[in-house]
Amino acid sequence: MAIRRDVGKAGWGQSAFALAVGIVYFFPVLWIILTAFKTRPDALATPPKLFFTPTLDNFRAVFFRQSSTGGEGQATDFALYFFNSIFVAGTAVLLAVIIGTLAAYAFSRHPLRGNDTYLFIILTTRMMPPIIVIIPIFLMFRVTGLAGGYWGILLLYTAFNIPFSIWLVKSFFDELNPEIEDAARMDGATDWRVFFGVCIPQVVAGLAATFVFGLILTWNEFLFALLLTGVETRTVPVAMARTLGGNVGADYGLLAAIVTLFLIPIFFVTFLLQNQLLRGVTFGTVKK
Amino acid sequence: MSIELRAATKRYGALTAVNAIDLDVADGQVLCLLGPSGCGKTTTLRMIAGLEGADDGTVSIGGRVVNELSARERNVAMSFQFYALYPSLTVAENLAYPLHAEGLSSARIRERVGEVSQVLQLDGILARRPGQLAEGEKQRVAVGRSIVRDPTCFLFDEPLSRLDVQLREKMRGEIKEVLQGLSRPTVIVTHDQLEALTMADRIAVMRDGRIEQVDTPHEVFANPANLFVAGFIGTPQMNLLEAVYDRALDGGRGRFTLEGGQTLSIEIGAGIDSLPAGATVTLGIRPRNLKIVAEAGEDCLSFSIDLIEPMGAETLAHLSEGAGVRLVTDWRHPLAEGERVHVCFPPGVTHVFLEEKLMTARHRMPVDEEHAA
Amino acid sequence: MAEVAPVLDTERSAAAARDASPSGAGGGGGSGGFMSWLKAPERRGPLLVAPAIIVLFVMNIFPLLWSFGLSFFNYRANRVKEPDFVGFRNFERVLTDEDVWERFQTTALIVGSSVLLQLIVGFLLALLFARQFPMRRILMMLVLTPMMLSFVSVGVFFKLYYEPTFGLVSWVVNLFSDTPFALLATPEGALAGIILADAWMWSPFVMLLVLAGLVSVPKYLYEAAEIDRASSWRRFRTITFPYIKSLLLLAVLFRTIETFKIFDIIYIITEGGPGTATESIAVNVYRVAFQNFRTSQSAALGYIILFIVIVLTNLYLYSVNRRQQEAI
Repeated sequence: MAIRRDVGKAGWGQSAFALAVGIVYFFPVLWIILTAFKTRPDALATPPKLFFTPTLDNFRAVFFRQSSTGGEGQATDFALYFFNSIFVAGTAVLLAVIIGTLAAYAFSRHPLRGNDTYLFIILTTRMMPPIIVIIPIFLMFRVTGLAGGYWGILLLYTAFNIPFSIWLVKSFFDELNPEIEDAARMDGATDWRVFFGVCIPQVVAGLAATFVFGLILTWNEFLFALLLTGVETRTVPVAMARTLGGNVGADYGLLAAIVTLFLIPIFFVTFLLQNQLLRGVTFGTVKK
Repeated sequence: MSIELRAATKRYGALTAVNAIDLDVADGQVLCLLGPSGCGKTTTLRMIAGLEGADDGTVSIGGRVVNELSARERNVAMSFQFYALYPSLTVAENLAYPLHAEGLSSARIRERVGEVSQVLQLDGILARRPGQLAEGEKQRVAVGRSIVRDPTCFLFDEPLSRLDVQLREKMRGEIKEVLQGLSRPTVIVTHDQLEALTMADRIAVMRDGRIEQVDTPHEVFANPANLFVAGFIGTPQMNLLEAVYDRALDGGRGRFTLEGGQTLSIEIGAGIDSLPAGATVTLGIRPRNLKIVAEAGEDCLSFSIDLIEPMGAETLAHLSEGAGVRLVTDWRHPLAEGERVHVCFPPGVTHVFLEEKLMTARHRMPVDEEHAA
Repeated sequence: MAEVAPVLDTERSAAAARDASPSGAGGGGGSGGFMSWLKAPERRGPLLVAPAIIVLFVMNIFPLLWSFGLSFFNYRANRVKEPDFVGFRNFERVLTDEDVWERFQTTALIVGSSVLLQLIVGFLLALLFARQFPMRRILMMLVLTPMMLSFVSVGVFFKLYYEPTFGLVSWVVNLFSDTPFALLATPEGALAGIILADAWMWSPFVMLLVLAGLVSVPKYLYEAAEIDRASSWRRFRTITFPYIKSLLLLAVLFRTIETFKIFDIIYIITEGGPGTATESIAVNVYRVAFQNFRTSQSAALGYIILFIVIVLTNLYLYSVNRRQQEAI
């Protein structure tokens, strides 16, 4: 009988250890989730409470104009902020993916002279600190009256996502087998048909992944939203930061509820995108 | 220092990859595990190496049961199908790698590497990395890494399968030379029968996790134990004809009726006595043993030539009315497609298989007692 | 030629036919000519890239150029006065400003410490997850979550954890000491708090990269090492490490570039304080531009930062290419 284990697999011992590490690492997040169900006194209790009676008030407060239990009236408008975030991020990323896909196709299939230089510049615009661009953008918006409205921030977020989309989608196009396209051309397909009928269907999953990654990045964006959105167009991150500064102190329960609400789609997405995860977080530069 | 497997078994879930096989490899002997893919030969090799654990049965090396020992503890040398050369190390460092575990001085290590390098003609490439080597060179380094040490046994997994045909021919000879110099049991896994026939002292033909026959290359070729081995060994493949055994004739001959009504009276040999009358048998005869004769006879069948394939020094003819009977003859013999020929079954070369087992063993070549099956 | 063309590329031959016709493209001279020029195959690449370039230009390049121009004047956003041209004075000022150098130092400290921590933790996490074991997928998802949170979320809650009275961290410390623990009150503490939050968030990133490397090592190499009786250390050094070396480098460069931009987390947790102890270079530019309204000066500083980022990005892309070529 063989007791000797085969090289490369580990058993429940490793699971237990990994579980311990995983929980410790995940603990700060776990605490956020717990806090979302706490009443205000519970959230700020000393010593920190691990066991408490849960309440759904925080979640309700996120969407409806009411204060969360236990605190003074702090009317929230989070339904509006949610909408703003979804609308602005969603539209911007969608536009960016469309524009980016066209450009990515060109970079991949119709390389220009100096292709690499263009791609480098594009990547740099993504990697530079937003701080550098913020000043002239702010001035531009002020001059053209775009500040505080939807169009300004939307356009900006689109520009924000284009480099990332180009790099990511290009990496998907680069992996396609060009022989299929050649075969289609032999059969008389026009270049447009090759693009829409042959290439796009093969990278649809990649496009979806690009969209989702872009969404996560844009949704969380803070600095530009801080400076360029107005009262009506405020996005969630800015609203969260603002609740911190109130004189009643932060309503952590409410904030926790917001973060928890986001965690659900994020878990979902992490699971769905695990194959593309590496590519997504390195902006398409690392595939494996 | 021999290798012994007794009822060794390996299962993967519902699949039994290796099914209770018995195997013996004596010191200095080269045994080839030969068979189609999926037959369990590589798994068997890995069980000897310790990379797979046996689920049942015992694996012994040097008289000692090693089931519980890890590969490291068994001190075996193995050459992998994909060479498994360490990509970040030079050839010299690759060759030296196993020696570090033996606590040798660096001078002694360098010496050993030098010796092996000379034997395998690696002197020119010692400073290169695997990524810069040609297939043949990589293969030699892989072999070198095995022979640089003094292990309990040598194991080779498909050593030549990644080489092109010409390189394979060349390397076969070189490896055979190297193997002859080794004094430990050696097991080679291959799916290429030519490799097995040329390099092995004994061949174990495997199918579906079982050993069909263990014998010297000659015996496996001349006296295949069953239909599978008969069909597997030898190119072009042995002709296998279904026939009904009518009755015995004098002189060790028997009369058979084939599909389509033709009868054949051929010399079978001693096995004729154990054939029940009326039994359905399979007649096996190698394409090269069939002879074209001018006139019909009792020991001949008549066919028409469907297709002729010139093979250089020989010609392969596909015959009809025999359900795929093929014949090989010297290239000078004139043949024409559509021609009708009489094909003779010379005495002493036809095998008879009853229910897949061989009934008629040819005269065996004298072999060493210690290597007898 | 004429017979072959229509089969192969209908668009191209149609365009060629149009170009060949004497009166120019159908529909009249001007617009028809432009359309066919536009649709020609050579234009396809540039045409597809055009929308992206336009948006990027308007939103990125143009502001950058404007900003570049601004840095040579003494423009202040809150004054009506006409700006004067001052040449390189802003750059000079910025480069000789002690405060600025201090901010660079702070930023370097944060970046260096956080990336180092990420490297260590990320590497260890990768080792943990390198082999298959039950529940691996779920546990890995748990560990990846911090990376997916927004900086604001992490900032808000780590601020809570660092709270002297009811924060988790303070409570744990209080198990061992009596005085209330205010991590963010001291410069060192505040820096530590920020570094911890950032490293916690992004160690999974390093883990992902190193894991990709670990997983790409062919199994048979480890088997060969087992047969060759190599020690664990030897095995790591000669087999594992070469595979992850290039990925580690990528991870370090990428995280360095990204952490260099650090703003959100600092703004939320400490707002650069206490005093200016945790004011990174980005926070500094923000303050100078939007609180002090020294617009031109911050533009100059912005450009210096841009230069650094360009150099780093270049390094990064170089490593990416090297790795793709090496592909062991």
